[in-house]
Amino acid sequence: MKNSCSSVSRLLGKYFDQEVNEKEKLLIEGHLQGCTTCREALRSMEELKALLKGPVEEAVQKEDFPWVWQKIEKEIRLQKRLTWWQSLHSWLDVSGLFRRRVWVPAAATLVVLLLITAQFIFKRTPSYAGASVVEYLDSPTCNVLVYQSEEPKVTVIWLFEGTEQGATPS
Amino acid sequence: MKRIAFPPALVFILVLFSASAAFGQVQTRIRAIEASNVGLGIDPSLRDVHRELGSLFSFTSYRLLRDETLNLLPNQTVLIQGHHPGRFMEVTLVGIRRNVATLRIRVIRERVVILDTAVRLFPGRTVLIGGPRRGEAVVIFAVSARF
Repeated sequence: MKNSCSSVSRLLGKYFDQEVNEKEKLLIEGHLQGCTTCREALRSMEELKALLKGPVEEAVQKEDFPWVWQKIEKEIRLQKRLTWWQSLHSWLDVSGLFRRRVWVPAAATLVVLLLITAQFIFKRTPSYAGASVVEYLDSPTCNVLVYQSEEPKVTVIWLFEGTEQGATPS
Repeated sequence: MKRIAFPPALVFILVLFSASAAFGQVQTRIRAIEASNVGLGIDPSLRDVHRELGSLFSFTSYRLLRDETLNLLPNQTVLIQGHHPGRFMEVTLVGIRRNVATLRIRVIRERVVILDTAVRLFPGRTVLIGGPRRGEAVVIFAVSARF
C-alpha cells in the first residue's frame, strides 16, 4: 500500500491537471478511495487553485482588452506604411535565400563549372613555328627524306623504297 | 533527398568530365592516298589537302584509298592494314601535353619495320608519310590530330 501511495502521489499533480492517461486515471481513482492522505493532498491542490483563480479572474475582468487590440492594430497599420525605398529594398532583399544550405553545393558546382570553362576560354595556343615535328626517325632498309614546311604546315617523311620511277617529292 | 543529392552528383560528373579532358583521347585522322602519274585529277574528298599535295609533289593523280579516324588513348596502339598483304602501319599515342600529341608510327613490310618514327602533331599540322609503292603509284599517309 505504501508503495502504491508513493507512486500515486507522484502522479497526483498530473491527475489534477488532467494530463494522465486512462490507465493512470483508474489506478489513481482506485487508490483515492482507500487513501485519505492522497485525498487530502488532492483537496489541497483544489483549494490552492480556487484561491488563485478568484483574483486572476477579477483582474482579467478589470482589464480593457478592446483597447489593447486597438493599439496592436494601429501598430500593424503603421508598420505596413513603408516608404518606396523600403518597399524596393525589401523587394530586392535576397539575403534569406543565402541562409539555405542548398546554396553551398550549388556554389561548389558553379566554381567547378567556371574552372572547366576557364580552361577553354583562356586556353592559349602556343606558336609552334619552327618547332621540330619529327622527334626521331629510323629506317634500317630504306633511305629517308624529311622535309618540313611552314606554309602549308606540312611535314613530309619520304621512304625511298627500292628503285624510284618518278615517285619522289618535287 | 533527391534535391540534396543532385548538386553533388553534378559536381561528380563535372569532375569526371574535366578528368577525361585532361587525360583524354586524341582524335587522329589517317588517310591513305594513292598518288600516281597515271591519269589526271584529284579525289573530291581530298580537297582540303589538295594545296599541300600540289605544292609538295608532282603527281598528276591523287585517290583516297582509306580514311580512318582513331580515338587514341595514351599508350594505345592501333594497326592499320595496308592494301598489300603483309603491309601495315602501327600507330601509338606516346603522350599528349597541352596541344601537342606525340605519335609513334611504324611502317611494317613483311614483318620488317621499314620506318620507325615519332612525330609531334600540333594543331593544324599534317604529317605526310610517303614512299611505299603500290604498282605504278605510291601510297602517302596523311596524319593529323584534332584537339
